[in-house]
Amino acid sequence: MAEAKISPHSLNDLKNTTDDALANYLRGLQFRQDNTKLDVRLAIGYASVVIAAVTFTADYKLGWEATKGWTAVAVVAYALLNGAFTYWTWGVEKGCVFDGVKEGRKISVASKTNKHEPTYYLTVTDSGSAASARQIQAPFTTWFTADGYFVAKPFQQWLASSVEAIGAADVKNASRAETEEATAPGPEEIETVAQSTGSAQASGTESKSKSSKRSKRKG
Amino acid sequence: MFGSLATLQPRQLAAQVLNFALVLSTAFMLWKGLSVFTDSSSPIVVVLSGSMEPAFQRGDLLFLWNRGQETQVGEVVVYNVRGKDIPIVHRVIRRFGGGSAPLQLLTKGDNNAADDTELYARGQSYLDRSQDVIGSVVGYVPFVGYVTILLSEYPWLKTAMLVFMALTVVLQRE
Repeated sequence: MAEAKISPHSLNDLKNTTDDALANYLRGLQFRQDNTKLDVRLAIGYASVVIAAVTFTADYKLGWEATKGWTAVAVVAYALLNGAFTYWTWGVEKGCVFDGVKEGRKISVASKTNKHEPTYYLTVTDSGSAASARQIQAPFTTWFTADGYFVAKPFQQWLASSVEAIGAADVKNASRAETEEATAPGPEEIETVAQSTGSAQASGTESKSKSSKRSKRKG
Repeated sequence: MFGSLATLQPRQLAAQVLNFALVLSTAFMLWKGLSVFTDSSSPIVVVLSGSMEPAFQRGDLLFLWNRGQETQVGEVVVYNVRGKDIPIVHRVIRRFGGGSAPLQLLTKGDNNAADDTELYARGQSYLDRSQDVIGSVVGYVPFVGYVTILLSEYPWLKTAMLVFMALTVVLQRE
């Protein structure tokens, strides 16, 4: 799934691919995913669709005059459910891409992007640390090649080194990122990534290392 | 493009389908809400003929109101001929009854030479306000309704539009 090529000009594609990869990565680290938020949204949404479908069928079979009263009830119910749906999406989920637990430690990750800005913003809530939400951000070029391939390694290193709970679950990626932080990205690092992903993506990995340098200069 | 759809998790697929279903159901429920508000089975209609020119032209979009049944002479009403399902927009030229008695109306197109008795169902010489009339015209937008005239005269356009809409909604995530 992450191997698919996407358009690097579409911020939507960048975000969706990254969201999917993030959930996959955390599931792979044995975080037990909690889908309650999405399930509630689906329940509210499908309930309102069922109301509309029943109204449509009744109207089609019995006509307007016979169904007037119930249609009014259905319209009000639909409006209320839709309000609840909107509230749930914007007020509760707030772009949540992953809720999960590992060894009693709860982690909740919400993502967002701003228009015309290729940066991935994450809000991480971690019950293990000081409980308050933490914001981290990185440019998409850190883990996308110039031609739109997702590269898992730098993405996982970024997460593991900036989120404590993920770092604790994935020590290898976390420590690796720290040593990389200490010394400038050496050529051997680029080579190993290029070997593992194949020569076809060599140009992409170059752009990746360039961008990581750029982000370092900024920070 | 469908490949990316197939790799989605079941929940994500359900969310995707829901997005599409919500577009359709919300459009339908808005229409029904307007129906309830105006008490009319069809609160917005498109003028299909030139029989009301120069007041209304083919393609005009009319907004109807059906609360308050005391229709007066001079009002423009939309009615369905019994047994046919084509709404007709014509002006009331005579009324009979009203108040506690059932209101009966005679209509005529501004651009027609004769009144509508010829148009009514066989044996019917007047309209029953509460049964036949869908509503009185309270507002209009010129020309916009021409889209629906095109859609009903060229049915393949409708199919093409629906397929296009479905594809864009399903294949694009938010």
